[in-house]
Amino acid sequence: MDTITTKLSSEEIFNLMKQFITEVIGEEFVEEMDITPESSFTKDLEMDSIEIVSFSEKIKAHFGEQIDFTGWLSAMDLDQLINLNLGMIISYIEECQS
Amino acid sequence: MPIITVNGKSVHLQELNKGAAETIVLVHGMFSNLSVYYFNIAPLLATKYHVVLYDLKSHGMSEKTLTGYDLESMTNDLLALMDELNLHDVHLGGYSFGGLIALKMAIRFPERINKLSIIEAPDPNDDKTRGIIDEYSREFLEHYVENFTDTTKVKMGKRQMERNHRMYEYLFYQTSIKTDMEIEKNFFSSQSIKTIKKSTLLLYGTDSNCLSAGKQLDGLIENAALIAVTGDHNIPIQQPMVIAEALLNFFQET
Repeated sequence: MDTITTKLSSEEIFNLMKQFITEVIGEEFVEEMDITPESSFTKDLEMDSIEIVSFSEKIKAHFGEQIDFTGWLSAMDLDQLINLNLGMIISYIEECQS
Repeated sequence: MPIITVNGKSVHLQELNKGAAETIVLVHGMFSNLSVYYFNIAPLLATKYHVVLYDLKSHGMSEKTLTGYDLESMTNDLLALMDELNLHDVHLGGYSFGGLIALKMAIRFPERINKLSIIEAPDPNDDKTRGIIDEYSREFLEHYVENFTDTTKVKMGKRQMERNHRMYEYLFYQTSIKTDMEIEKNFFSSQSIKTIKKSTLLLYGTDSNCLSAGKQLDGLIENAALIAVTGDHNIPIQQPMVIAEALLNFFQET
């Protein structure tokens, strides 16, 4: 488990998120997608809940104590979870780093 | 991703608030996975308890297995998982098929269970419950998904539909799940449920086909209380915070 201490730019966070998404859903699916900060997890990336669990675990493993990603998600209701997009996660991680 | 080996098979599990004094184990339902608890229910319970979630065999990210879907085998797996995690006794919650596993656990290993919570466990003898197992088809999945989408607002894309289809095909046509479920059809009419003396919370949806099963259990288990929550069989997804708070209050009551 590698915990990072240096502050990442939003572009670096975006690339890291893309890498995690690729690891979770597989390269063959990611190739067909245009992943942007506006991409929503359920609608655009078509990730189901167990894949979002995997993705959350990757974030937790990477950032460690620095951010409480599951805690952040748990405050959301179903509508918010469905509409969750990459940009929102990037902003959250940036906030935690500042 | 935490994977442990239980009875020779890989099991995906998630643990929250490991240091807490008491443990709650939550069991998900058939064709589902631990994510039903992961986002809302488990984090609230983890404010006070050590919470353990795991994917049943062939579900979520646990290893595919051809046999052993009867309640005896499923509870053997849970017991082995508890032993592996050094958990002597736990509070236990189960949703749908996971509720049947939780009931069986309380019957077989009462010394390992403290309080019991059953969410929407169906009567295995109910035609509608068995019908799902008997008549799987692509059309069934599409209808099921449409209904699930209606009541939970969760839409399923093409890739997810394919993934689910593959899981259903595997479970229905390659594993022993159908015959294993047939064995359990008299579970509610057997005398064994009456032997449960644990404090038991029954959570059922007001509009659920399973509500009558909840009423049956309320009559069979001496120390049970039934709460009807607005919603149908999908109440943990429709009302996660209501379910989480009901569970937390119940486990905390002295």
